[in-house]
Amino acid sequence: MDEGLFFLFLSSGLFLGWSLGANDAANLFGTAVGSRMIRFRTAALIASIFVILGAVFAGSGASETLSALGRVNAIAGAFMVALAAALAIYWMSSSGLPVSTSQAIVGAIIGWNFYSGNPTDSNTLVEIVSSWILCPLLSAAVAVLVFWGIKLLMKHLKIHLFRMDSYVRIGLIIIGAFGAYALGANNIANVMGVFVDSSPLHALSIGDIAFSKTQILFFIGGISIAIGIFTYSHKTIRTIGNNLMHMTPIVALIVVFAQSLVLFLFASKSLKLFLDAHGLPSLPLVPVSSSHAVIGAILGIGVAKGGRNINWKIVVKIVFGWFLTPIISAAVCFVSLFFLENVFNLSVYEL
Amino acid sequence: MFQFKIKLFSSAKSLETKIDMFHDKIIDSAMTFKKSIGEFLDSGRSEEFKKANKQLRQIEHDADQLRRDIENRLYSQNLIPDLRANVLELVENQDRVINRFDEVSYQFYIERPEIPEIYHARIRNLVEQVTDCVENMSIASRSYFRDLSLVRDYSQKVYYLEHETDITSGHLKTAIFDSDIPLANKLQLTTIIDEIENIADLAEDSVDRLLIFAIKRDI
Repeated sequence: MDEGLFFLFLSSGLFLGWSLGANDAANLFGTAVGSRMIRFRTAALIASIFVILGAVFAGSGASETLSALGRVNAIAGAFMVALAAALAIYWMSSSGLPVSTSQAIVGAIIGWNFYSGNPTDSNTLVEIVSSWILCPLLSAAVAVLVFWGIKLLMKHLKIHLFRMDSYVRIGLIIIGAFGAYALGANNIANVMGVFVDSSPLHALSIGDIAFSKTQILFFIGGISIAIGIFTYSHKTIRTIGNNLMHMTPIVALIVVFAQSLVLFLFASKSLKLFLDAHGLPSLPLVPVSSSHAVIGAILGIGVAKGGRNINWKIVVKIVFGWFLTPIISAAVCFVSLFFLENVFNLSVYEL
Repeated sequence: MFQFKIKLFSSAKSLETKIDMFHDKIIDSAMTFKKSIGEFLDSGRSEEFKKANKQLRQIEHDADQLRRDIENRLYSQNLIPDLRANVLELVENQDRVINRFDEVSYQFYIERPEIPEIYHARIRNLVEQVTDCVENMSIASRSYFRDLSLVRDYSQKVYYLEHETDITSGHLKTAIFDSDIPLANKLQLTTIIDEIENIADLAEDSVDRLLIFAIKRDI
């Protein structure tokens, strides 16, 4: 296939990447930038570098799970799957409903499966859906444990307020970088996963380092996320930073850590292999929502503090979103594939 | 990154020292005030009293400089962005206490009140309670920076001592108005007693705010 045409079809995935960078980077550095602990440029640079590194070097795990759900084998079909997910995200965001890119892309893949007549692997689907529920719960558990641990440490170590401020600043940078790496590793599957099977790109070697064609694709996706971070995330960061100002910087640090760890656990292939090899329970490699992980962590800390100030309406909205997002996305994808095939005469799947 | 870390820690360390020095000045001012009033009661406007008075002025001046330096560093180095307004208010409230020590001591210097000897012990007692109250305020404030769990304990001591100063000053003023000294002297003495007692009120106000800041500081 002509590479120019490929990039035209890839545009929907790149747009998804841009929106991911614009929205989700705010979860990592929002409080730090909003409270002026770190400058936006520094945060954006760190986030961009680590998102790309995570996408290229650890992005394959979650992507394989999406492929197991549905192998989108025609580029026009992949284009429409990504576009349907983007449209579902746009509509739900405009209606003020919380939306996850992961759920939108899974819904769109199921829509493609229905249209192309491919069976949807129920085991993979159950694995994915259970991880959506597990993600905020796990994030809440991690946040609560770390919250109690830090409280205990602060009680015994008696660290001076100004020194604590220095530790928190350094922590926000290091954990923010880890979070960006985990975000790239976990969420690149949402952005580029559906293009893996139809990509005409070739493997590349730079010196002794060899990059597979999937890694090249993920690198391009990573750049689109980085562009989203640099061009638009400052607006989201401003909102998040100001909205979460009631959180102390230490709580913000815990929230970012919990979110990053959970995203990493759902993305790291080597960690899964290590846990499996030692007979320990491991998590499926599934793209999960960083926003849900953040909300889970905040709710967890809220419960640990005595359950006050918890907005249960948000919890209900999230659960509502779990059902609505994939359904809307699947429906949009199904109808759009019909138009693409019958009006534009493009092949959206290969038999 | 390494350089950034070093700079960050050295700024924090330097400010830690300044805050500690500021708290030292509060204790110094309380001790010197006690000494100054003691000297006045012993021997009027003596050289020793003048020396203590001058010392108090110097402490007040140094504390002002420290306060300005702390304020300046907090904003120019962008430290503790979420809590710096609280720290500034705390430092300013406590600086007001140091200023009052200086002003009341200077009031003794200017007015040279005639205090009958029968009231000396009670005035010394009032001054002792006021300075104790301020010392506990200073410890509570120091704890805010290092050990939040102690803030409440020392604040409680401030409240108790402030209440004691109210009782002592009340008894003292009643005794003065029950005496036969001229009305002008009675009014002058009660004004000065009120001024001393007000220092404990300032310490109490500062601790009221401190307890709220401590809740905000808790994670």
